[in-house]
Amino acid sequence: MLSRVALKPVRSAIQPLRMTQTSATSNAAAAATSESSERDLVNFPRPVRQEFPAKVRMGFIPDDWFQFFYSKTGVTGPYTFGLGLATYLCSKEIYIMEHEFYTGLSIAIMGIYAVKKLGPATAKFLDAEVAKSDAALNSGRDVSIDQAKSKIVSEKAEQERALAQKMLFDAKRENVALQLEAAYREQLIKVFTETKKRLDYQVEVQNVQRNLEQRHVVDWVLRNVRAAVTPEQEKATLSQCIANIKSLAQQNTARI
Amino acid sequence: MASKRIAQSAVNWSAMAEKVGENQRSMFNAFKLKSDQYLRRVMANPEKPPAIDWSYYQNRVAVPGLVESFKKQYEALQVPYPVDKVTAQVDAQEKEAEVVIKEFIAQSNRRVIEAEAELKKWASVLPFDQMTMQDFAESFPDKAWNAANPTFWPHDAASQQEPVKAEH
Repeated sequence: MLSRVALKPVRSAIQPLRMTQTSATSNAAAAATSESSERDLVNFPRPVRQEFPAKVRMGFIPDDWFQFFYSKTGVTGPYTFGLGLATYLCSKEIYIMEHEFYTGLSIAIMGIYAVKKLGPATAKFLDAEVAKSDAALNSGRDVSIDQAKSKIVSEKAEQERALAQKMLFDAKRENVALQLEAAYREQLIKVFTETKKRLDYQVEVQNVQRNLEQRHVVDWVLRNVRAAVTPEQEKATLSQCIANIKSLAQQNTARI
Repeated sequence: MASKRIAQSAVNWSAMAEKVGENQRSMFNAFKLKSDQYLRRVMANPEKPPAIDWSYYQNRVAVPGLVESFKKQYEALQVPYPVDKVTAQVDAQEKEAEVVIKEFIAQSNRRVIEAEAELKKWASVLPFDQMTMQDFAESFPDKAWNAANPTFWPHDAASQQEPVKAEH
């Protein structure tokens, strides 16, 4: 206790140099805290929980005490003072070495042995437990912060979507216009095709009539010509043809 | 002829698709399909019907005066542009939707403010590993021990009971 009270200003000056912290502490330090604007955080910073004890020499004497002596007596001062004080107390029998002193020595030896042997493992286990409980506490906080942030993002997105409904109504109006236009064009095309169909019909009727007339005239001419041909004429034509074939055959054999 | 004739779609579908939520995606796709069908129906026919070659028919059709009367009647025929009866309905729908949207945005802003208040609250809370019990009681008055409202052991919600009124 005395070590804490003894040299407070010296300690607070040294404090920033000892920033060795576990993951739990650095995580907490990262979490920003806001304070009232009236609070003077420069001169009166919020006290930070100390994770490690102050530095000591020879296992139990606070280093601050040595620092206190250095400016006044130099580096040997604290040792001289300590030895001198111990010698004075012992020689004047202010401190009496009765049997309890020797019991204390043996208990101290056992204590040091236990701390050296079991200390690191215990410290590791306890640090892990502290980190676990800190993580459990902070996870609730992190989840809440994440939820609030994602809620804000999604609400903004939903708002934009709601405002984008104007596009939907524009599209609806355009659809109406498109349907009207489509109906109009279909009607125009219908008028066109119906008119064209009737005109084509007239043309086709005339074509068919002309074809029939032509065929009829040709038939009539052929029929009359056949009727005009007599059997004698036919016979003469046939014999003439045979004669022609014969002469052709003679010509061809001569050439071969 | 109507003054505003539409020839092609002016809707930016990709921009619209970005704004559609996942739960409304299928509805949006159906709407787009329908709109595309309307556009295709418009594109199926030309803007103006092709011209009729009257001289060709005049040469071919022998009936006197027939083609002329056809031509006169065809050119006299005015196809009326269909009357638009539904745009007013769409406008009314839009007006209704605007009211709903305004209300939704007001509610949404309220929710955003709540979330921001929550964020602010967490920003003012000390890191848990730097807290004293007093800091905890100040930050979470409902969770900390309270002399005015003692709880039964083991101090969880299930084991609490109404205090019995003592008769003296």
